[in-house]
Amino acid sequence: MAHTSTLFDDEFMKKLEYLNIVSSRMIPGHLHGEHRAKKKTDSGIEFADYRQYVAGEDTKNVDWRTFMRLDKLILRMFEEDADLPIYIFFDASKSMDHGEPSKYDYARKIAASLTYIGLLNHDRVVLVGYADGISKEMSARKGKTQVWHAFRFLESVRPAGETSMQKAFRNFFSARRRRGLVVVVSDFLDGDGWSKAFDMLRYFRQDLFAVHVYSVDEQHPDMPDEVLLEDSESGTTERIKVTPGLLDAYAEMFEEHCEEVSGYCRKNGYGYVRTDTELPFEDLILRVFRQGRFLG
Amino acid sequence: MSFLSLSPAMVGLLLAATAATVAILYWLKPPPKRVVVPSTILWNRLLREKKKQTFLDRLRWWISLMLALAIGLSVATALGRPEVGATGDEVRDITVVIDNSATMATLTTDGFTRWEHAVSQARALLQQGSAGSSFLLVDTAGQAPPTEAADRSAALEVLSSLTVALGGDSQFPLLPPSDGELYFISDGVMVDGAPPEAQIVSVFEAADNVGITAFEIRSVPAAPLTYQAFLEVTNASPGPKEVSVRLSGSGSGRLGETMTLQPGESRGRTIDLSSFDRGPVRVALTTDRDAFVADDYAYSFLPVRRRTRVVLVSPGSIYLERLLLLQPRIALEFLTPDQYDRSSGGVAADVFIFDRYAPPAAPAGPALLFLPPDRPWLSPTLEIVDSPSVEGWDTSHEVLQFVSLEDLRVDRAARITPLIDASGADLADILVGNATLPLVVAYENPEKILRVAFALEDSNFPLQPAFPIFVSNALSWMMDEHVALASPPGRVEVPLPGATVADLEGNEVTTWPLADRTVFVAEKPGLYTAQSGSRRLRVAVNLADPERSAVNATGFPPGTAAATSTPPLAAVQPSVWGDELWMLLLTIAVVLIIGEWFTYHRRLTV
Repeated sequence: MAHTSTLFDDEFMKKLEYLNIVSSRMIPGHLHGEHRAKKKTDSGIEFADYRQYVAGEDTKNVDWRTFMRLDKLILRMFEEDADLPIYIFFDASKSMDHGEPSKYDYARKIAASLTYIGLLNHDRVVLVGYADGISKEMSARKGKTQVWHAFRFLESVRPAGETSMQKAFRNFFSARRRRGLVVVVSDFLDGDGWSKAFDMLRYFRQDLFAVHVYSVDEQHPDMPDEVLLEDSESGTTERIKVTPGLLDAYAEMFEEHCEEVSGYCRKNGYGYVRTDTELPFEDLILRVFRQGRFLG
Repeated sequence: MSFLSLSPAMVGLLLAATAATVAILYWLKPPPKRVVVPSTILWNRLLREKKKQTFLDRLRWWISLMLALAIGLSVATALGRPEVGATGDEVRDITVVIDNSATMATLTTDGFTRWEHAVSQARALLQQGSAGSSFLLVDTAGQAPPTEAADRSAALEVLSSLTVALGGDSQFPLLPPSDGELYFISDGVMVDGAPPEAQIVSVFEAADNVGITAFEIRSVPAAPLTYQAFLEVTNASPGPKEVSVRLSGSGSGRLGETMTLQPGESRGRTIDLSSFDRGPVRVALTTDRDAFVADDYAYSFLPVRRRTRVVLVSPGSIYLERLLLLQPRIALEFLTPDQYDRSSGGVAADVFIFDRYAPPAAPAGPALLFLPPDRPWLSPTLEIVDSPSVEGWDTSHEVLQFVSLEDLRVDRAARITPLIDASGADLADILVGNATLPLVVAYENPEKILRVAFALEDSNFPLQPAFPIFVSNALSWMMDEHVALASPPGRVEVPLPGATVADLEGNEVTTWPLADRTVFVAEKPGLYTAQSGSRRLRVAVNLADPERSAVNATGFPPGTAAATSTPPLAAVQPSVWGDELWMLLLTIAVVLIIGEWFTYHRRLTV
């Protein structure tokens, strides 16, 4: 499996292997994560429950010992994993192409990591790059062999355009989609409003895990006294007089923004992690694991 | 306010330019730097909220502008070197000569002295002119000799260091050539000679004064053991004065007398001191409204009056024997050399006189030797010189006081080895002769020795009128008991090298040792004692000067306005910042900069 990508180089691959091992140790039996729907069926390996036999049903799961003891036909039920997909949405808008290292690369690494682990766990993974709508989509894949396909897909998407998570979700989920886990890796600087997009996910009864990515200079910008601020997405400019007081107020505003996203997720039982791009991405993935939502 | 480095117009221009520059810099909007941010969503939201505070922001902007203007204008004003404190704006060249002669210590009717009025006038003169003016303050007693003109503070500093000089010569100083203003502040009594261009500031006011114009203690020539005090009292007041004179000394010595003196009258008194014991003698005057205190008392010293025991050891000298027998203060004992040798030096005396003889060991007291033979305790004789010429003599030495040796002829004399110490310095004073042939030398080893290198019989010295004076002086010198030296207040020199000097209360006075004498400054009348080793000398420092007591003998014309009608001004404490304000302005600028920096970083002004 030779691979020449600079984004997903050998070093990255080693880290993914490490994450895979660590995740296995952290959560024994992680192949059957909590996020997966449990379906009680008459076939399977793991015993789940008993129920009354209904006439016409297959008698292969009748518990004859119980019948002998209680004179009642009782069926043994088994639990079987539902094949719930993972939808990984990574923000490919122009605002992500910022910072050193860039938020976009960082987001792609996160997306690649989660995809890798998902595929290794035989999950069905869908990758979606979005900006003002869906930029590019990788259809559902399953199995370890799809890893390189996913990586190539991630490398093929370039950040451009404005952000509209709402449009992207509407476009994506307007097609018939199975309920699953939606992972959104973004800076959540969405002109249309990220909360409306999240509401849409609730409407489609999708589970959500939000990964909030930002750069340090975005959180604490260092600017001269007077600047012409240019929006990287829209290109609009605003002349402002920068004072320490204004920078302090901006830092507070940024924190409020993060708290709003976090608060929304917490309120609705969604997963949320936030990070700046200086945190090693593998540490972030471990934090995701610890939240117990992505792999349980 | 005036400016020292720039004209007012230039300063105004500088201030306007500074204000304009600061304002333009504030209004100028240089092209802002373009900064690309991921999104302006948060910025826009923030700026929308901030717009509510526009008025406060503008106020802060104006405050910031005002601060910048204040800083800039402070610095610009400092560049102009503004100054305050002067009563005049012009640059002047002021020279003030202040009289600090003795009579300036005279009190005026307001309770201050003429000197205090003079200092006040001088200070007022030195406060005139701008800070750029040059000032020179000179006194008449030489305490502040003429130098280069300096600034106001230097002149005021000199003024504060001056005092009234009771003694010494006071004269109008020789000033460096100048086209400036010249002021002479004086009472016009002791100092004259002011140039015509000098503006006289008179501090004269007629005053009462009765003073001691002479006081001396001397022995009576006919009875050397009897001492008398000569006292002269002068009334320098405009009217008659009744004076109480009180003479006090050691033991039970007390004398008192009251006399009435007419204006300008001097009255002398000769007072017998028989009832006084050895020690200091003080005379004091008491009179009403005496404005000059320094001449109201005087001091002297009454020496011991015991007869001096003198042993003359000689093979026979008619001159010495007869002369010593005529000395009333001497108890003479005559011995031949054999008799002295037999006594094995056990003879007790105050003074020994050895004629052509010297004992094997040094006597236990001072000695006068005429042509002594070689002895271990004497410097050896090198040769005998026939008909030596008398090169000169030291009349400053006490032994040769009033002694003239013009006609001295010597047939033969001994050339003695110079007495020097390890460093080669002379230990003996050559009183007569020179270094190659000293004829009379005096030294201490440790007793006082006066050695004459010729015999009386080999010279005409005994026939000279100076001979008895020489012997009398020699005995006085060796007895080391003298009446006090008389000196006016001021610089006093005593002929003792490396001496310590103490006043009558025992307080040590600062001295300056010179090669062969010691100098000290007696600021007030008193009896001072100088001591160097075993030698002691008393100095009676008295004003005792008719010129100094004549406090009303002013040379100023009668119509000269006196500056004593108002009390003297109090000394003006110089401002911490001085006359110039540039330091204050720069300090203000620095404080404002620090304040703005502090408030900026404390988010108070942004």
